[in-house]
Amino acid sequence: MFRFAIKNMLIKKIQIILIILSIVLSAGVGVLAYNVGEQVSDGISGTAGYYSAIIGPSGSATQLAMNTMYFTDEPLGTIPYTLVTELMQDTRVNEVIPFAMADSYNGSSVVGTTTGFLSSKTVGEGRLFDDHGEFEVVVGWSVAQMNELKVGDQLYTSHAAGDVHTQPLTVVGILEQSHTVYDNVVFTQLQTIWQVHDHGEEEHTEEEHEGEEEHDHSTHGMICAVLVKTKNPGYAMTLVNDYDGKVFSTADGESYSLQAIEPMATVRGVLEDTDNTKYIVFILCAIILLMNIIIISIITLLNMYHSAKEISLMRLIGISMKKINLLYLIQNSLIGLVSTVLAFGVSRVCLLFMGDYVASMGVVLNLATVYPMEWILLVAVFLISVLPTVVCTVLMSGRDGLAD
Amino acid sequence: MIEVIGVSKQFKNETAIDYRDMIFENGKSYMLLGASGCGKSTLLNMIAGILSAEQGKILIDGVNMSEKSQREKDRFRIEKIGYIFQDFKLIPDMTVMDNINILRLEGVDTSRAPALLKTLDIYEQRNKKIKHLSGGQKQRVAIVRALVKTPDIILADEPTGNLNFAIGEQVIQQLTSVAKGKTLIAVTHDDRLAKYFDVVVDMNEMTDGGRRDLVDGKEGA
Repeated sequence: MFRFAIKNMLIKKIQIILIILSIVLSAGVGVLAYNVGEQVSDGISGTAGYYSAIIGPSGSATQLAMNTMYFTDEPLGTIPYTLVTELMQDTRVNEVIPFAMADSYNGSSVVGTTTGFLSSKTVGEGRLFDDHGEFEVVVGWSVAQMNELKVGDQLYTSHAAGDVHTQPLTVVGILEQSHTVYDNVVFTQLQTIWQVHDHGEEEHTEEEHEGEEEHDHSTHGMICAVLVKTKNPGYAMTLVNDYDGKVFSTADGESYSLQAIEPMATVRGVLEDTDNTKYIVFILCAIILLMNIIIISIITLLNMYHSAKEISLMRLIGISMKKINLLYLIQNSLIGLVSTVLAFGVSRVCLLFMGDYVASMGVVLNLATVYPMEWILLVAVFLISVLPTVVCTVLMSGRDGLAD
Repeated sequence: MIEVIGVSKQFKNETAIDYRDMIFENGKSYMLLGASGCGKSTLLNMIAGILSAEQGKILIDGVNMSEKSQREKDRFRIEKIGYIFQDFKLIPDMTVMDNINILRLEGVDTSRAPALLKTLDIYEQRNKKIKHLSGGQKQRVAIVRALVKTPDIILADEPTGNLNFAIGEQVIQQLTSVAKGKTLIAVTHDDRLAKYFDVVVDMNEMTDGGRRDLVDGKEGA
């Protein structure tokens, strides 16, 4: 029966390929849209919940959150490191992590911070950098893979303008793959950022801008933001209230306008927009899927109708309606099964290609992540592709006898 | 033995055919001759259980087929009857072997097929698609499919209808040869083939000239 079903399908291979293609495209897009939406949402909200407050230069709250947590977008500006010292003395605060981002390495951001920033990450090879040392880096898994870096290797970062710094940095550790944005980042001590930058600026000024009016590019003692974990969630709100809009003055008389945000609230606002987009895409896919269900059903019913000659022939030589129905049920189940598997495969391949794009949004897509809803969608697609045969079976079993 | 007793068949076009009682003995070959529309093919279809009679009964080895359900008739047809259709009833896009092996769906043993194909000189074509065969070759495949299950009764509806006389005669020769010892009932227009059959039946006589009109779709007074 199974072999005969396969042979019978091979006879109509073009028609069957078109049906499979139709199911694969609609189901694949549906599953892909759902998966990407969920992974982006999970990735963003998962990271956001890690810190109670973020304090940085005044400006866009979203930009501050996205830059410090997902390493996207440019920093809003700089604030003095002395703010960190002040916050450390605040009784509401449990941990203060400085954050500076100024350079890049082959397209990956370089973040100057403390080891506290990586406390939730696991080092796969080597160790974390020494907070009091210099010129040491810990690279994310993808950075190491893409640049074939291993512990002990040296790398050269470059300034945003594209100039490569001459100071080599030593890879002391490689993070385990986390399927997060951390995989694509180079982490180092704050001191290193300052040293490399100031060294670069000296050369820059001396060699290329002789005679030009010198201006202060020094980033020494400056950071882009401060990430704060409070002792309890209630303190986060008061801390934000205290620092949001505050003008912070340094001992040398410089003033900096600050903003403070609760990352979860900021990201929730971003996610609401993302969720709306996700649901719009999901609804569009559902419409495509519904249209395809109708098209597939019509194609299959027409196919069965055109197979009427074949069916009557089989009936004439004595093949029972039960066997004929079983034959078509096997055929359509095979079509459904192949389509479902291919749809899943197509969604994963697309996920692979979308990886880079989504990584730029701060989320690393994991191909192995499959949500229960995806299985439900795929099972539904399989059942839908078999449904027309069941309908035909019911219709035809009602006229089992051979017509006079 | 096949007994046709008091059988009458009505058609949707408001005509009917009344058959005289007939007996087809086991192991003999019969040729049914007659004009178009005289009820030759209808009789074969009723014996095969494809059509049912409104009146009378058809007994096969004493069993009244008219009382059987469609499923039982199907089962009987697949097990006991080899039916050769005028238009072959083969699936054009399938190969010769696939068209024969289709019977395996109902558990029919088709292991005799190669031997029969060789006997009918069609073995070399066994892997060709039906649509690539000539009319004579198609008819031979249809004969093999009918005989592969070693049926007790072979019914052939115009087996030479689509063939020229020379090839038709060759097909009939082969058919009667491989059907020897079975009950063979073949419908044909061509009385030149009569010499190959044990008994020739003039269906014009057995149906009083064929179809009669019904009055308002019912039996007339």
